[in-house]
Amino acid sequence: MSGTWIIFRRELGQYFASPVAYLIAFAILLITGIMFYGDLNYAATIRPSDPALIPNFLSFAMVFCAPLLTMRMLAEESREGTLELLLTAPVNDSAIVIGKFLSAWFFYTVLLALTFIYQFILLAITQPDLGHAMCAYIGIWLYGGATLAVGIVFSAVTENQIIAAFLSMGVLLFLWFAELVGQIVTNLDIALVIRQITLQGHFTTSFAVGLVRAEDVAFYAGIIAIMLFIAIRVVESHRWR
Amino acid sequence: MIDVQNLTKRYGNHMAVDNISFEAQAGEIVGLLGPNGAGKTTTMRILTGFMPPSAGSAKIAGFDVMTDSIEVRKRVGYLPERVPVYPDMTVRGYVKFWAELRGVKNARKQTDRVLEQVQLTDRRNTLVRNLSKGMRQRLGLAQALVHDPQVVILDEPTIGIDPQQVIEVRESVRQLGEKHTVLFSTHILSEAEQVCDRVVIIHKGRIVAQGAPATLRQQLQPGGHLYVEVGGADDAHARRILESIDGVELVQPQGAGYTLRTRDGLDIRAEVSQRVGGAGYSLLEFRPTAMTLEDIFLDVVGRERD
Repeated sequence: MSGTWIIFRRELGQYFASPVAYLIAFAILLITGIMFYGDLNYAATIRPSDPALIPNFLSFAMVFCAPLLTMRMLAEESREGTLELLLTAPVNDSAIVIGKFLSAWFFYTVLLALTFIYQFILLAITQPDLGHAMCAYIGIWLYGGATLAVGIVFSAVTENQIIAAFLSMGVLLFLWFAELVGQIVTNLDIALVIRQITLQGHFTTSFAVGLVRAEDVAFYAGIIAIMLFIAIRVVESHRWR
Repeated sequence: MIDVQNLTKRYGNHMAVDNISFEAQAGEIVGLLGPNGAGKTTTMRILTGFMPPSAGSAKIAGFDVMTDSIEVRKRVGYLPERVPVYPDMTVRGYVKFWAELRGVKNARKQTDRVLEQVQLTDRRNTLVRNLSKGMRQRLGLAQALVHDPQVVILDEPTIGIDPQQVIEVRESVRQLGEKHTVLFSTHILSEAEQVCDRVVIIHKGRIVAQGAPATLRQQLQPGGHLYVEVGGADDAHARRILESIDGVELVQPQGAGYTLRTRDGLDIRAEVSQRVGGAGYSLLEFRPTAMTLEDIFLDVVGRERD
């Protein structure tokens, strides 16, 4: 068995044993349920239901949920001293970080899959735009991966989970507000640049409106790769302290 | 099995480990002895492949810790000073996790075997957070042994547990020596004396002495020692009497009395009692004191300072 897989399994086990993960799942399902109900009520009279309703909400919710899902991952290892054992186990440093990231992403995927229930309800009562919805879901899946990767980086830089969570929330919030700034800036060039570098900019105007563009996929994949690379380096730096 | 040559670790200007060399043969129990901050943990961290040395080389079973780090890590079991635990895992899950991560073939079976060995079998479904400190120590030992490593490295395994458990841990370290090469650190000298085949004393990153405990004692502390308490005499007087006894090399005040260092193999007890009595004073306390490794150690470390 490879190191990545063993780490992945342990982390996943931790999620299903931790109250934080259940609370987040509970909160997200509760809020999306209420939103879906509201949208359905509203849409019943004047328009078709919004296919990107849940993904759009998650694009904001992940600013807070991703840090909570990842804050523990490396900060706790570092504080409890288990990182020292991990770094003296015969596995690569990258396997540790990637295994943890994949388990966070997997947990998030399960959470996302649970919200498919709304699509099934729509299918039973109307003819939803499933293509559009799938696009939005693919987008928010990649988007979520990128926010989780940011969370992992900050979990690696500190021993304190709370600090890790606040730092990554700060960065994600900044990226989120930057997108709003991009929307109101009158200078078109600056607005474009801002939109290009924000997580939001690659979602709201493409995936959320039913487009899957290679550049957006590449953007999120790139963010994930870069963030994981940084996290691996930070973990590695423990060897030099 | 362990081969350390001219190992050096620098943190900026601070030399944590300064050019140390020592070896350990297969099946040997070697104690790293030194005060806190002497460089014991740093040396161990280098040997486990946790951090690279600044200079020099360290080999485990012929593999270099720098170039063959993964091979080294497969062959080493490591218990850091503070037992690293995942509080939310069960005892069994925790040990099995480390077994799998270290590539143990039959992880489940090996886990059960090692839990039996450290006597935690009846606790295997307990959450790690609920274990007592001594049990945690045994759990730490279990994770270090589960992959049946050739070399076991234990960093201060007897710190912070009760005396009964200290004895148990020492006993289990002793037993480890039958199958593994053991390197363990301690700042308790009597412990090193009881457990180790060989002791390496380090201070401020440098080796100040090494050898079998008995040999070290002989080398570093020639002569015998007596503790004497004289009643009725003032300090100067008592001292003069004691110093005038043939065979006494040094008189040091200690507590209410004095410690006499005598020439090797000379029994001066009768002489002391006669002389003190003859001068009209009484002997309140009189006993031979064996200088412990503790004293030797302080002696050596003190000399280093001068």
